[in-house]
Order: sequence, then C-alpha cells, then structure tokens
Amino acid sequence: MKIMKCPMNGPRNISEFVWGGEVREMPDPTAASDHEWAEYVFIENNTKGVVREWWMHAPTSYWFIAERNTETDEIVRTYPATELYNSRREFK
Amino acid sequence: MNTPLTPQSLARRSFLYRKLAGLGARFAAGNEAAIAASFGGADEAAAARNLGLADLSPRRRVGFKGPGAADWLASQGVTVPEINRCAAQADGAMLFRLGANDLMITTDIGATAALPDRLAAAWAALENPPQSPRGFPMPRQEGFCWLVLTGQHAAAAMAKICGVDLRPHRFAAGEIAQTSVARLSAVVARADISDTLAYQLFADSASAEYWWDCILDAMQEFGGRPVGTEALAAVQGAASGRA
Repeated sequence: MKIMKCPMNGPRNISEFVWGGEVREMPDPTAASDHEWAEYVFIENNTKGVVREWWMHAPTSYWFIAERNTETDEIVRTYPATELYNSRREFK
Repeated sequence: MNTPLTPQSLARRSFLYRKLAGLGARFAAGNEAAIAASFGGADEAAAARNLGLADLSPRRRVGFKGPGAADWLASQGVTVPEINRCAAQADGAMLFRLGANDLMITTDIGATAALPDRLAAAWAALENPPQSPRGFPMPRQEGFCWLVLTGQHAAAAMAKICGVDLRPHRFAAGEIAQTSVARLSAVVARADISDTLAYQLFADSASAEYWWDCILDAMQEFGGRPVGTEALAAVQGAASGRA
C-alpha cells in the first residue's frame, strides 16, 4: 500500500488519510465579493504538478499540509500547518 | 451461596457485556459496573502469558483536550510525556498523550489508582470561565472501549490486523501508535504487564463488539483466548513477587 508520512504519527498507510483540498489564502470575508468567496469555497485549481494540499490523519484527526505531485501522485513533503500559519489572523 | 453478579444488575455495563456473558465470564463489581474477572478454564494466567484478550472498558478513565490541557495537567503534578507516549504516574495510573493537547488518564489494572477521579474533581472545582485555558473534558469513559492484548504472541496477532510494526524490538514500551486496527481508528499503546508484552487498545465504543470479534479471530491461530482481570493481576503479581 502507498505510505504517507504524517508529521505527528510517522509513516502510515494512505487509507488512514483524508484529503482536505488545496491550501490557499482566504480572502477577507468582509471585503470579498460573492464571486471571490464562491471561488475560494467551491472551485479547485486542479493544477498539474506539485500542489500544496490539506490532509488529515483520521485516527488522530490531525490536519497537516502535504506537497504532492498531481501528475505522478508522488508525495514530496509533509509538514505541520504551523509552518505556514504561525500567528493568529484578525479580520476587522 | 450468593447468586452470581450479572452486568444487568448494575447501573453501568461494559460495551461488550453480552459477548462476555456469552463466553461464560464470571463478573466482579467495580466503578459501578461488572467487569469480567475470569472466564474459567485451566490456568488463565498462563493463557494471558501466551495470548489473552481482556476487557477493561468499565475501568475508570478521563480525558482532557484543547488549548492549555497539557499545562493544566502538569500543574496538577502529573507527569506529561511526549506526544504519542504513555507514562505511569505516581499512584500507578497511566497517562496517554494522544496529541499536543489531547490527554487521557486511566486507572491501573487493579483499579487502585485514584488519579482519574482526582483530576475530574479538580477540573470541575475550578472557576468558570477559567482564568487561563485548561482545555475541556473528553468523555473517554463513554467514547472509547478499552481492551488489553497480552502475551508472547500479541505482536504476531496484531500484525494480522494492523499495518504498523508493533514487534517489541521496533515498538518500545511506552510508545503509542494511533492507527487503523481491523479497519477501525484506534489507539495502541505498549504498556507491558510486568515482563509480559501487553498492548492497551482503545477504539470507538460503538464498534466494540465488532472489534472484540475481529481481535479474537486474529488470535485464534496462536491459541489465544479471552482472559479476565484476575489473570492480568496474577501476571502482574507473579513477577513482582506479590502473588
């Protein structure tokens, strides 16, 4: 079976993981247009090549980020979300 | 002679009480529930040293989760290990660290450790809302079933239903693997009973009967069988000279 490395739990069978969609910047919810917001919530870029995605290790409900090549399905790197999101973001 | 205790005569029951009764368990009272003390048969302690599965679901356990939970427990004098490790506490209770701020505390095999009760009382007695974050209580008593797989063939039996290498030389005492066991998300912790290999197993209580059957099925080829808490106590006592 394909193996993915969870940053908290180590290498595990891919069947233990759940895909969570692309990582992308959330637009300011108070300033974004309906079109921008719908784009953010519903539309995937579906890029060919290395993408950054949310993944969850289901037995621990642990969310992290994986860089994956969508062409070869090779997992390049996995790391905790704190690497990208390390401070609280406020919206006025 | 007294009539034997039945699980139905007490307020709480193990998630597995029908299975246990069907296997001919003799029950003993503890934590307001009936726990399977013995299944009879020849030398149950020897069976536990070979390959045994015990149900500790009625035994006391509490959980704390959320920002501040680990710090709050440390402030209560509890030894908090690394993530995915378990640590025995001063009174014999076990702490399982399932995440940075996801912790479960169980009583010991003999149910003498009062730490889970003390922590639950201490948490409830604090001011509300708290001055500093201390997480929230997790209902681990109700959410998780608690099984113990013991004996020399325990690793071989687990290899049939779990993808993680749990052999003793690869999975040290005190380590936790949170993974899939018989297709069920589970916590597997190695906490040996004296010198006998033992895995503490926790998974969703709603699937307890399914899980119990799966694990017993995996144990069959190694001569495994259900054992009661008296056999676990005998295994624990024999090595430390308290038997």
